[in-house]
Amino acid sequence: MNMDLPGRLDALCGEYMLGTLRGAARKRFERALREEPRVALQLGHWQSLFVPRYSPMIAIEPSPKVWKRLDHEIGLATWRTPWYRRAGFWRGWSAAVTIALVLAIGVQTFKPAPQAPAMVAIAEMVGKPDGSHVAAHLSPDGRTIELHASRPVLAGPAQSYELWLIPAEGGAAISVAVLGSLDARFDVPAAQVGRFSKGAKLAVTVEPAGGSPHGVATGPVIMIGEINV
Amino acid sequence: MADDQELRKLLLRTAARDEGSAEAFERLYKLCAPMLLGVAQRIVRRRELAEEVLHDGFSAIWRTAGTFSPFVAQPMAWMATIVRNRAIDVRASHDVSRVDSYHDTLDEDPDGALDRLFDWGPSADDNEDKRRAAQWVRDCLAELKGAERQALVLAYEHGLSHGDLAQHLRKPLGTVKSWVRRGLENLRTCVETCMGAAP
Repeated sequence: MNMDLPGRLDALCGEYMLGTLRGAARKRFERALREEPRVALQLGHWQSLFVPRYSPMIAIEPSPKVWKRLDHEIGLATWRTPWYRRAGFWRGWSAAVTIALVLAIGVQTFKPAPQAPAMVAIAEMVGKPDGSHVAAHLSPDGRTIELHASRPVLAGPAQSYELWLIPAEGGAAISVAVLGSLDARFDVPAAQVGRFSKGAKLAVTVEPAGGSPHGVATGPVIMIGEINV
Repeated sequence: MADDQELRKLLLRTAARDEGSAEAFERLYKLCAPMLLGVAQRIVRRRELAEEVLHDGFSAIWRTAGTFSPFVAQPMAWMATIVRNRAIDVRASHDVSRVDSYHDTLDEDPDGALDRLFDWGPSADDNEDKRRAAQWVRDCLAELKGAERQALVLAYEHGLSHGDLAQHLRKPLGTVKSWVRRGLENLRTCVETCMGAAP
């Protein structure tokens, strides 16, 4: 592969990154990538020019069998730290014991008077097209969410809004609720209670009436905001 | 999403093949598999094939983690290249382009596709340089001629070959090839100019 012609190496790096370099040409380029440092450096330069992040909205949670098969085929067990040597095991042990004790004592000692739970503001979502705001509030027990829109936002007859939680640690967006209006109060699905933590994001997409049919966002994100509590 | 530094550490730990490599690789999978499955799905368009691609991609990441150079490559870009190349091969061998829904589902709106595929907004763990660089790419893509932009976005998002592009856009192969070539060249020059011109 003659990479010395002017512009040739750049053209190859670009097409390799784009994915239009195919077949034998791609194999030759990959060999050069392993063997010639200047090729790796030039590709690194291309990759450093184009640094956008993939949108979390494209993420899809893989089925657990993909990991199981990988784990088995690679023989990962060989490379795993034995459980008794993991620092986390002992830390987890003592934390769990402490929490259990504190809870046991706490339950014995305190009998809090019943009171109406005050909602806590956890995130401010900002509309992408028009800068409108929707404030999200969470009840102290983490089981109820309220949304307050700065101005009324109602879905059209053939569409719904869907609220998604994008976990702070990455991973697929999780559907929280399908809504007709962005002024709403609803229960958090049991599986999502406790997951509205600092750094996670809330996003609203426009979906067909009744919400996304596949559990994956299909429409544009119209609002997004980070949980800051 | 995890920051580059964490992904870099996990890849190096995976490559070390010592106690803890399995945990590092598992965490890497947890952090990146959903995003990479999304990338594969857009190319192969069938869930079971996309999961096959994800499996093969992570097998390759495990095998070749030792060739990852933290000084040269960005970890996510490095892994995405492996997964995309595998997806492109699977797409070619399964003739995904003949799936009936192909023409209905391919995006005809490159700007919309760009905003669905990428997150251009600032992220908490981005530094100022990264933020600006992402904005330059977005601006430079917008400055390309429509046909060049469409060819690049379709090729990138759906893994279309020159031949697929020619068929999809109903243009001669030579025309499409030169759109791709000129588009890449113009995009690179534009981003480099922005970098050079920036204070």
